[in-house]
Amino acid sequence: MDAETARGFLLPLTVAIAAIGSALGLGKAVGSAMDAMGRQPEAAGKIQTGMIIGAAFIEALTIYALVAVILLK
Amino acid sequence: MIGKLAVFVNNIAARTSEQTHKVTEHASDTVHVITEHAADTLHVVAGHAADAAHGGEHAPELPNWLEFAELLFPGPVTKFLWDWHVVIFSVLVWVLLSVFCMIAYRKRALVPGKLQNLIEFVVESLSNMVVGIIGEGGRRYVPFLGTLFVYIFVMNIFGLIPGMFSSTSKLNTTLALAICVFLFVQFEGIRVQGLLGYIYHFAGSPKSVVEWCLVPLNFPLHIIGELTKPLSLSLRLFGNISGEDMLLAIFVGLGISIMAILHPPAWLPGIPLHVPFIFLALLTSFVQALVFTLLSTIYFSLMTHHEEEEHH
Repeated sequence: MDAETARGFLLPLTVAIAAIGSALGLGKAVGSAMDAMGRQPEAAGKIQTGMIIGAAFIEALTIYALVAVILLK
Repeated sequence: MIGKLAVFVNNIAARTSEQTHKVTEHASDTVHVITEHAADTLHVVAGHAADAAHGGEHAPELPNWLEFAELLFPGPVTKFLWDWHVVIFSVLVWVLLSVFCMIAYRKRALVPGKLQNLIEFVVESLSNMVVGIIGEGGRRYVPFLGTLFVYIFVMNIFGLIPGMFSSTSKLNTTLALAICVFLFVQFEGIRVQGLLGYIYHFAGSPKSVVEWCLVPLNFPLHIIGELTKPLSLSLRLFGNISGEDMLLAIFVGLGISIMAILHPPAWLPGIPLHVPFIFLALLTSFVQALVFTLLSTIYFSLMTHHEEEEHH
């Protein structure tokens, strides 16, 4: 297996693995947000805002992996 | 100053309602352009799709007016405009914002009308957010952070207008914004805490003997931490906005290539498969602008909160 083949195989795998990590993290975050909203429906607005912001941070890590792949391609 | 920001943001609301008019105008214009230059347009988009297929020189992107100008009227002026299109579109956004600001500044009343009410709502929410995170000392940063939010949001959204381009989908613009924030935060750190206090903060604020011994470890850690902040800010915004642009471009290409199989009439070059992703792009643009502003606010609060600790 030469470098080109390894690259063609590993670059998409990189993004896939990053996506798995971020999916797990986001699932946990949104799940906790849903639990909190269920316990205290009055605070739903604040919890939703915090959830969106947290999701943006978690998403950013996947975006870094995507940017790295684009730069390497 | 908040009044000025209020009026400045006043324009944004004025402009967004104008922009919806512009979108429909540009949509009909684009259809005319496409029917007249059907072969050219299909060539350009198919060229981009082909570039993407061959892993071409750059990632797929929807074309903008400056690219059309350079393709249809090749020459030194249009080449110059196309070479600098990132900067030109970012300048265009702030020129438009400023022009609308100046227009709306003429009619302001103590009892606000509808637009002024909306703008005051926006300014108050931004101000509450910043002051809520930094504390009362945050009032002096509200113009900078509020402008950051509005500018980034409008630049992100600008690319969704047919034929326009978001400058934040290039690392140049986002890195410039992140460096501005970084330099301002460092300057404020030195101004508020003094040079010695600033270095003390970087050493981890040692208060006991153990902490003093750990200073050589803390110092490089803090420096690296400070340097990664603009890096992550710029990469997050760039990755998100360029990713959404690429998504739109790929789906437009898909819509056109699906129709190409069926030998379409000239007035229907493709199926608009990308429309749901425009809504996703609206959400992403807003959230990324908010995250950039929020993180910058948090960096300010981290750098300057020592002063408030001493006053209590």
